[in-house]
Amino acid sequence: MLKPVYTILNNKKVVPFVFLLPFMTVFLIFKVYPVITAVIMSFQNFQGIQSQEWVGLTNYQNVFDLVRFNQALTNTTAYTLGTLLVLIPLPLILAVLLDSGRVVQSTVFRTLLFLPALTSLVVTGTIFRLMLAENGFINLFLEATLGVRPLRWLEIADLALPSLIVVATWRWTGINILYFNSGLVNIPRELYEAATIDGANVFQLFWSITLPLLRPTTLFVVVLSIIGGYQVFVEPFIVYNGGGGPGDSALSMALLIYRTAFTSFNFGTAAAMGVILAAIIFVFSLIQFRFFGVFRQED
Amino acid sequence: MAARASDTAILSAKPRKKPRIIVSKILMTLFFVMLAVAFVFPLYWMVISSLRPEGRIFVDAFDVFPSVLSLDSYRTLFEEEPFGRWMLNSVLQTGGFAITALFLCTTGGYALAKFRFRGRNLLFVLILVSQMIPFHLLIVSLFLMIIQLGMVESYWGAIIPIAASPIGIFFVRQYMLSIDDELLNAARVDGANEYQIFWSIVLPNARPAIATLFILFSLEYWNNLLWPLIVFRQAENMPLAVGVSRLVNQYRAQYDLVMAGSTLATIPIILLFLFLRRQVMEGLAATGTGMK
Repeated sequence: MLKPVYTILNNKKVVPFVFLLPFMTVFLIFKVYPVITAVIMSFQNFQGIQSQEWVGLTNYQNVFDLVRFNQALTNTTAYTLGTLLVLIPLPLILAVLLDSGRVVQSTVFRTLLFLPALTSLVVTGTIFRLMLAENGFINLFLEATLGVRPLRWLEIADLALPSLIVVATWRWTGINILYFNSGLVNIPRELYEAATIDGANVFQLFWSITLPLLRPTTLFVVVLSIIGGYQVFVEPFIVYNGGGGPGDSALSMALLIYRTAFTSFNFGTAAAMGVILAAIIFVFSLIQFRFFGVFRQED
Repeated sequence: MAARASDTAILSAKPRKKPRIIVSKILMTLFFVMLAVAFVFPLYWMVISSLRPEGRIFVDAFDVFPSVLSLDSYRTLFEEEPFGRWMLNSVLQTGGFAITALFLCTTGGYALAKFRFRGRNLLFVLILVSQMIPFHLLIVSLFLMIIQLGMVESYWGAIIPIAASPIGIFFVRQYMLSIDDELLNAARVDGANEYQIFWSIVLPNARPAIATLFILFSLEYWNNLLWPLIVFRQAENMPLAVGVSRLVNQYRAQYDLVMAGSTLATIPIILLFLFLRRQVMEGLAATGTGMK
């Protein structure tokens, strides 16, 4: 009885599937299946657990009619763009400087700048909620150094986005430096030597060697930031006390989905919002895959 | 990814004049010292705020090196909140998650790396595409599923649904590609069955990848909020991140407790990181660039 089972399990055609079984089981049940049900749900009137009926595109229509959703979409897009404007050039330049041989103990600095990436986003949020408070450290510091009058960072709508970008800069700069660094070390040094002999200066080296050869890394970080930016959730959730901030100025799409699902229990609408979010991220990811050529797998 | 000697990059490729180099080195290093202070400061602020006597957290907000410290907030945290329980939950759930995810990713990654079978490329693309699905698309479905499966409030409910990590399986596959096929074939000739080969040859050879992934998975779960926030409503089952997020909303004014909780959630990770720095940083860089 045991022998045939053993032979089958050791058959070269069967073996890979046995090894794949655990991953694929979890993957299909908890990743593929919920995507399908979420898409179905987005076409249903699905409030609470009971009563679901087909309503076609009504959920989507409602979502786009929702002032809050449009606000969340605008906020999230602005946040994503804002983080891109800071979190690409800044880490790139810092990584190049750290790699230039002109910084003593560059590994120590890379490590110190990386430390924020180890904190939970919850902790990141609590620290900045404390520091951005009206009588918190940041205001006192700005007043003492620049003479700026205390700003109500967490209560003024226009300051929500800058606050969240400050938080993101602290949390992600170090890790982006890491990505850029691993791209930089792969650039052959001979290129720089040859160009230097030809009389190129530092800025020309940066423009015509570093930037072009770093392109794949830069694109990777850009798309990663876009995907992460559009999914921003914990930071506004914690910094603005589970709410969307003053006048919904810190309401992100992910936060709105969470609240639509678990505060209003409006599952159909939440699912439709999720599909829209997925569609946005999907488009940007496809761009990534085109640039990285992942679909051209070996064999 | 061997580190390149530091004198190789662009700025130093210029012909050097010695004094100028030294001055620019000092200025540049000074700049990074200031930057590092600014980046480490919020962590210092978290710790120091947690140590201020009760009610002094905003009053003393400009006192960077306070002379009076107190452990009161920590005492309150353990006496009036199930904080010890949250720490235990975090440790157990993090360990459970890391081991489960490792099991799925090493077995699956091995199949993808060392076997040819029908549908492999399709599977590859499917797993890759799944990586761009925002978790927020899944939360409602997953929530209803774990209700039906009776997994609400359970460790398994928090662990299993997020354990099939696309990045993890790719990381393992990438690493296992480098294991010599001859090694495996020799064992087959010697009469070892496929599972013995996996256990006693493949896994030991993949040890560095497994160790790195274990650390990264642990970091991921320890710091995760969204899914455990949905799974756990009962305070006694929550991991730290959820507990602290509850504190921050529950005690709007009691920042000292929140900072103490944040400190206890962060310091173990940072201490651990200082021992495993290379593995974490290179591992993270590799999950980013290794997927090309």
